[in-house]
Amino acid sequence: MKSLLFGGVWDRALALILIALFAGFCVFTPGFYNGFQGTLSITEEFLPFGFVALGLSVVILTGGIDLSVGSISGLAAVIMAILVKSYGLNIWAAVVIAVAVGGVLGWVNGLIITRLRVEPLIATLATNFIYSSVAVALAGASPPYGFGAAFGVLGTGAVVGWVPVQLLIFVVMAIGFSVLMTRTGFGRRIVMIGYNRDAAHYAGVSVASVERRAYVISGLTAAFAGIILASYYDAVRPDMGDILLLTSITMVVLGGISIFGGEGGILGVTLAVMILGVLRQGMLIAGFSDMVTTMLTGAILLSSIAIKNLFSSRGFDLGAAVRRFTALRRPAKS
Amino acid sequence: MSSTIAAMPEPGRRAKSRRRRELREVTLLIATFAVIFGVGLLRPSFMSFSNLEFMVLSSVVLGLVGISQTFVIMTRGIDLSVSAVLGLSAMVFGLLSTTNNMPVWQALPLCMLVGAVLGCFNGFLVAWAKIPPIIATLGTYSLYGGLTFIYSNGLQVDQVSQDFENFGNANLIPGLPIPTPVIALLIVSVFAWFVLNHMKYGRNILAIGNNASAAYNAGISVRRTLLGVYTISGALAAFAGLIFVAYTGSATATTGTGDHVELQSIAVALIGGTAIAGGRGNLAGTVIGSVFLSVVITALVFLQVPAIWYSAGEGAMILIAVTLGARQGAKS
Amino acid sequence: MSRATGLLSAAGIDKSFGSNRVLRSVSLTLAPGELHTLMGENGAGKSTLFRILAGIHQPDAGQISLDGGPLELRNPCAAYDHGIYLVPQEPALLKELSVAENMFLGMLPTIGRFPARIDWKTIRVKAQDALATLGLDVDVRDDAKHLSIAQQQLVECAKALLRGCRIILFDEPTSPLTSREVGILFGNMRRLREQGCTLGFISHRMDEVTEISDRVSVLRDGAVTDEVDRGGFDRARLVRAMVGRELIFDRKRAHRQPEGEPVLSVRGLAHEPVFSGVDFDVRPGEILGFSGLIGAGRTEIAEAVCGLRAKSAGTVTLSGKDITKSSIGDIIAAGLVYVPEDRARHGVILPMSIRDNATAGQIGRLQRKTGILNRKREVEIATDTIARYRVRARGINQPVGQLSGGNQQKVVFGKWMSTNPKIAILDEPTRGVDVGAKDEIYKLIEELSAQGMAIIVISSELEELIALCDRVIAIYAGKIAAELHGADITAARVGAAFLGAGTH
Repeated sequence: MKSLLFGGVWDRALALILIALFAGFCVFTPGFYNGFQGTLSITEEFLPFGFVALGLSVVILTGGIDLSVGSISGLAAVIMAILVKSYGLNIWAAVVIAVAVGGVLGWVNGLIITRLRVEPLIATLATNFIYSSVAVALAGASPPYGFGAAFGVLGTGAVVGWVPVQLLIFVVMAIGFSVLMTRTGFGRRIVMIGYNRDAAHYAGVSVASVERRAYVISGLTAAFAGIILASYYDAVRPDMGDILLLTSITMVVLGGISIFGGEGGILGVTLAVMILGVLRQGMLIAGFSDMVTTMLTGAILLSSIAIKNLFSSRGFDLGAAVRRFTALRRPAKS
Repeated sequence: MSSTIAAMPEPGRRAKSRRRRELREVTLLIATFAVIFGVGLLRPSFMSFSNLEFMVLSSVVLGLVGISQTFVIMTRGIDLSVSAVLGLSAMVFGLLSTTNNMPVWQALPLCMLVGAVLGCFNGFLVAWAKIPPIIATLGTYSLYGGLTFIYSNGLQVDQVSQDFENFGNANLIPGLPIPTPVIALLIVSVFAWFVLNHMKYGRNILAIGNNASAAYNAGISVRRTLLGVYTISGALAAFAGLIFVAYTGSATATTGTGDHVELQSIAVALIGGTAIAGGRGNLAGTVIGSVFLSVVITALVFLQVPAIWYSAGEGAMILIAVTLGARQGAKS
Repeated sequence: MSRATGLLSAAGIDKSFGSNRVLRSVSLTLAPGELHTLMGENGAGKSTLFRILAGIHQPDAGQISLDGGPLELRNPCAAYDHGIYLVPQEPALLKELSVAENMFLGMLPTIGRFPARIDWKTIRVKAQDALATLGLDVDVRDDAKHLSIAQQQLVECAKALLRGCRIILFDEPTSPLTSREVGILFGNMRRLREQGCTLGFISHRMDEVTEISDRVSVLRDGAVTDEVDRGGFDRARLVRAMVGRELIFDRKRAHRQPEGEPVLSVRGLAHEPVFSGVDFDVRPGEILGFSGLIGAGRTEIAEAVCGLRAKSAGTVTLSGKDITKSSIGDIIAAGLVYVPEDRARHGVILPMSIRDNATAGQIGRLQRKTGILNRKREVEIATDTIARYRVRARGINQPVGQLSGGNQQKVVFGKWMSTNPKIAILDEPTRGVDVGAKDEIYKLIEELSAQGMAIIVISSELEELIALCDRVIAIYAGKIAAELHGADITAARVGAAFLGAGTH
């Protein structure tokens, strides 16, 4: 009961924080509020983080983690650019292929984790660097840029004059992910694995297969985020995804998803995306450097988990606590 | 008298595990020499004295963070913030040497103190706030990296005072051609080895890594031990940063983090034989491993392999080390 | 730091885990220099009592005293200080450390002041000596992971001695040992007793208990039912104290002997070295019982049949279909379900709702083509479960973790029965369940079998098996020791079979 109520409480608290934050910036930061359309267009700056956060949520709900999202997005963007510029492929075909590649990279992550039994932490830490090297190698000295107006619509365009395309896509995706997690068999299995892997196994869930699919999803959304970034900047750089990881994880955790798996929902993550996005933009407009916002994000990450630990619905006995601080490092035999 | 339970079929199993560990260390040494001679054949200047000196000195930095990472991994944790602490220390004390003329003998204890405080915060997050080490140190990685940017305010270190330069390059004992940093690494290694093998604190670290609740039940203070481990990690990382800036005379806001020193330190610890699951460490392996990695990276530079492949190689090395290590652990 | 040589007693100890009442006002006295055995069925509360005496758990009520003075044991260290040590059921030696270091865990002696160096020499010498007194010829410098279970147990004993503990409790040490190793262990225990130690011992095995004990206390359902001195050891009396209780239901099983093709056929099933050569059939409508001690292999056999455990040999056929190599999900879909023994870890997912738990066994079936779950059907199944099994809950959205043990078990039942299986394996279905719920579960089992479902009941409660089963298979040390039909199923016969009397 506590966790159900708490889920509601956490979401409501996030909503209040979002409103307060937004209002605060409007009042205290000149230049922040730029009319209704202007406000909505702010989202274009931070929604790529949100795309990654959606996919990452699925992985974290299983109790795992994916540190390679940044490099996957950069690599996907580079691949798309090369396909278009060096091979003359139609841009939309290139986009589809690039996103698919992201899925494949995620699947490789999943294989390393489920077949080679390397823990998600180390596995994705290592693949992060492998993928990013490949990205840099492919990009070469001067990565391609300039993909045309049609493509640019994704990142910078607007529908009906004032709704940014990114926002539209994000809302649709958020709804889709929410349905996926709460209403489908797949989502149910993910949550079961996150709460109690053994019990899921005993209930007939193919744990390894579901986990692999989670990493594929994470790879797909990361790749998609890379594409959006490419559209927004009308250029690609192999390291353009590097900034995604920290903020996306923070969005997931702030959104109420437990780092140990099982607990939490997409609604919270969506609110957290908005909160961190507004925070980031507001601070930039107020004149703080990018670095400061990054540091603040790190601080928020740490505080969210600490606060969540305080109110953990899993109970607080020392035995469990002792086991928990090594929880993200699963033993070789689980 | 009752009959005795038969001795285990193979006498001296401990000798066997020790042999396996020594095998790894020897293998690494052989591999290192193989790379040196192999690349030396292709590019003779690789084996020049100045290059060898260079490789040894860069392995000092790597060795120091490798040792800190080894301690943390032994407790089943991980410390991603070592590179940020290294960079911060390099930048801060590099600047202090030029702008404020801070002498080395003042900078040394001060930098270790700063590192200890930063590490202590990590320890607090892990042991008290119960935040998983990966997340805690990911958070502090960004925090400390940001501090470096703020402190430097766009500045860079292009040179350091003579004092620092001597510390980084000169031989400590006149006549003995061993640069000071190498001696520093040797001292730290010996000290670390002593703590790990001959002090209660070090044994507590291993106990916790093996089975934290059994350690707790036996009366070991898990929290305090963890706090200490991360504090040490921070102090050593800061020390490594000082040596780096003293030796190279340069530091930027992305020193350490740019080269992903944290990844290298993990690779070095794993290759050296420390188990990723904790409870088993190999300091000698870490140190030799850092020489090995340093040689390999320099070799890649010499062979003009694009720098981009370095971290891919490190990533691959980690995967291989973990997979093989798991098999070995299961076998023994 | 007193080294206790005297009387350790516990009075009025209560202990519950969540809603599960494990100990009810238990009193126990360990007289100095005696070897006191606790007997009882699985789940009777023996381990819990020892753990409380050793400071691992704290009692909800009651008092522990030593030599008359009250004792508060907040953690195992406090127990060590008073000379009490528990050799756990599963030895918890640190694998990567040496045996010697394990023995001195938390109390490594040092030389000098600053730095305080570890005195490895003393450690090695003292550790080796301690092992020598127990007759264990192991190099203490070897890593603990190389030791066999028997050796690890003796190391734990040595740990106790090194800490100066004179009250040593053994939690079911003999289950994983060969008879030769048991002999060595007993020799050591006798020697310790001669030296004045007080020993506590938990075992199921009748012959062991009668051989070594000075006094025996029998626990049943968390209460002490009998206390016997050495002179009065009578197997029948002990068995009765362990399992005898008034029949809470007046059920006389019709002892059917169903005809027709077996719904489940197992041939030559083995998973060395845990069990081997297992053959049996189950027919529709039949209730087959598996009896045996903990560690005899019953759960392992069931898990192997259901695909949860690898097999080294054998075949499993379900209604003619070979499911030996099938996945767990396929086996469930084919109509064979397993209700696990460890409810909290494998049966329910505590933070999830009744609805989610009740439908967990058939997610595939509940999915439409789009992958979306049929919410209406989910609610149906959950509501039906609550109604049919009379689950006391606030609604289908209540987290299962808030229900009592008995109600949780009903949800698990509902989960599996709602898949309409042809055969269900129930592993300890009434463990940790109160009397009222037990009765309901028995009625359910009978109803299901009357409807044609085949059922295997794994149970340590003889009475349960006697009342429910048409046939009982007794398993001892991984092999089928006896098969009893109909009127042959009596406490004496079954008890004798699974306690190994008459076998070897």
